[in-house]
Amino acid sequence: MDFEMGVEVEALRRELRDLVAHHVPSDYLGAFTDDPADLEMAQGFCRLLADRGLLCPAWPGEWGGRDASPWEQAAVREEMWAHHEPRGAQYMGVNWVGPTIMRHGTREQQGLHLPPIARGEVIWCQGFSEPNAGSDLASLQTMARRDGDGWRVSGQKIWTSYATMAQWCFLLARTSREERKQQGLTIFLLPMAAAGIDVRPIATMIGPHHLNEVFFDGVWVTDADVLGAVGDGWRVVQEVLSFERVGIARYARCERLLIWAPAALGAEWDDLPEDLHGRWARMVMHARRARLLAYRVVDLQSRGQVRPGDAAAYRIAVTRLDQESAQVLMDIIGFAALGEGEGLRFRRAVEDHWRYSISATVASGSIEMQRILLARALMAAS
Amino acid sequence: MNIELSDEAEEYGRQARRALGSAGGDRLAQQAEADPHARGALVDPVFEALGAWELDPRAGSEELEAGAALCRSAGWWALAYPVAERLCRPRDLDVDGLVVIGPGPPAAPVGGLRMAWAAVSLDGWRAVCAASPLRGPVRKSGYVVGLEVGSFERGGQGDVALGLVLPCWTLLGMLDRAMSLTRAHIAAREQFGQPLAAFQGVQFQLTDAEVERLGFEALATHALWSIEAGRADAVDDALALRLAAIEAADTVFRVCHQLHGAIGFCDETTLSWVSRASVPLRRLPLNLAGTGAALTRRLGRRGLSGLFGPNDEPSPTLPALRPERR
Ligand SMILES: Cc1cc2nc3c(=O)[nH]c(=O)nc-3n(C[C@H](O)[C@H](O)[C@H](O)COP(=O)(O)OP(=O)(O)OC[C@H]3O[C@@H](n4cnc5c(N)ncnc54)[C@H](O)[C@@H]3O)c2cc1C
Repeated sequence: MDFEMGVEVEALRRELRDLVAHHVPSDYLGAFTDDPADLEMAQGFCRLLADRGLLCPAWPGEWGGRDASPWEQAAVREEMWAHHEPRGAQYMGVNWVGPTIMRHGTREQQGLHLPPIARGEVIWCQGFSEPNAGSDLASLQTMARRDGDGWRVSGQKIWTSYATMAQWCFLLARTSREERKQQGLTIFLLPMAAAGIDVRPIATMIGPHHLNEVFFDGVWVTDADVLGAVGDGWRVVQEVLSFERVGIARYARCERLLIWAPAALGAEWDDLPEDLHGRWARMVMHARRARLLAYRVVDLQSRGQVRPGDAAAYRIAVTRLDQESAQVLMDIIGFAALGEGEGLRFRRAVEDHWRYSISATVASGSIEMQRILLARALMAAS
Repeated sequence: MNIELSDEAEEYGRQARRALGSAGGDRLAQQAEADPHARGALVDPVFEALGAWELDPRAGSEELEAGAALCRSAGWWALAYPVAERLCRPRDLDVDGLVVIGPGPPAAPVGGLRMAWAAVSLDGWRAVCAASPLRGPVRKSGYVVGLEVGSFERGGQGDVALGLVLPCWTLLGMLDRAMSLTRAHIAAREQFGQPLAAFQGVQFQLTDAEVERLGFEALATHALWSIEAGRADAVDDALALRLAAIEAADTVFRVCHQLHGAIGFCDETTLSWVSRASVPLRRLPLNLAGTGAALTRRLGRRGLSGLFGPNDEPSPTLPALRPERR
């Protein structure tokens, strides 16, 4: 056995930390704040990563990557998420939009979309959820109707992250009504600048510039914008969701904040109530546990295998960690002054983590769906 | 990265499970309870054939991993025998096995075996000790007896992590079994005209338990590697594992009992035997609170090793051990 990631991954990790230390402001808390400089910083940082071949190292060389191992890709995810995702919304393009286009796209689509993602120049949004199709995604109503040699898209999406800043939308729409609701769904790669698209931001407690409604009124798309076969969208979406599930290394941010706590509090750490030290130690253990569950999935991936139950178990564990660690960290900062310097930065990072963690069990699909998936896998195996 | 036991170790574990199954399987625990003093003789031939006591987990990764796999298989059958404890035998003392002891009165589930034991405290003080005779029905005691401890000496630092980790592998085998029994039960048992497994409330309890079991397994493998690699913080890793193990066991057995309904408490179901056998392993040498306290003390301001830890802080010294003599 060997739980070390190896010298190459460690070197990559050092390089990433170096870049973060030099280019990401120490009080950065993500690209989606009231300060436009944060988004600008993220865009610049993506190009910096891309120039060094660090934006999508696991992609094949042909598409701007360098065929790095899934472990290197995991290290990139960990370092980025731990430091409040200085890639901004780009992680979606790298994690699942690009890989899905590689698998299902035509040569033209690959040529059009993959290079800009690899260069860190383009933001995508995911148009899946609708007002009446959340967990029951397959019941969605947004229609794409045949019109000459193209399609007209009409309907509404909701909870669309980053839609205000995205240039492209990965859209799931209904192209026909069939016996089962999972049939007759098709994926379109749609330019957000197309006529007939209206994006309306939604004010939320998680942070500004994040969630949106997107309205489509007879938006024109061509056959060249269809990803995969017409009517085969549901199968592609299943792949997207499985890429997405391991996509966010939430445990890395939890671990960074937990390990930072004693230094940030300084002498005040020793004055915390004893039970809080105990809850902190327990969370440190749980952060390791979630990380090791993620590694099981990566390990399988590196051998070309998938066990849907394992990915679901990881996501259940890591979202619970997100929320429980946020609670413990909030309790910790409640006992300390943390009014300036490092202490203040720590307090702000913890508060941000807490706000964001509330949605961890809903974003990317409710955790109940993961439990259903895991239960199905468990019962099938018995 | 290579985060699984070797194929050889896994194969050895499978062989052990089959051999114990052929020798009586679930009946072994029942026979031992009927005649506690014969519990050693019941399984001696199987372990002999498996070459179990020739394994030296301290000799290297192969034997350590094989030992862990053997413990897991013993746990599967809720075997009433201290396999892990015997595998931990220090080679420099004339004893049959080793147990870790906590700050309370020294005790371990080693009654009725007529063997000599070594005990090691969490901070590495070691002593030769003798097991007190079994008292009362083993249904209640779980073979736990007090230990008469001789004088403590330094030198057991290398025993602590191993002595904590291998019994966790036995417990892991018990959780494997409890989950397997429960899956079978909810698939077969019907209420309201359908199998229990069809109810989402049932499915969700099952998944909560499975996530615990998987997390425990991941940490068990990691803590084993930590020993294998001779890491300085192997004891921290072992305590972190133990905390996860007890938490997992609490959830898994609560859920498995709940989903079995009343039948799960009866001697006629295997779950009740596995559940009872797990209790001493969850309480000794440190229960949930004790394990949490020990881990907290050790971590101090450092935290565990990982992506960002441990912090560069001195490791706090544990309070010197003053074990009660019994
Ligand atoms: C931060 C954030 C970002 C998001 N980004 C995007 C995005 O970019 N693109 C996009 O398309 N969507 C996005 N979403 C939407 C997200 O995918 C949905 O919120 C999610 O799928 C749940 O759908 P819903 O909110 O309609 O909840 P509902 O489906 O109405 O469910 C509400 C709750 O009911 C329970 N529930 C529902 N069905 C079941 C069931 N069968 N069994 C048991 N319990 C059940 C669950 O607890 C669930 O949380 C985002 C959401 C958040 C919070």
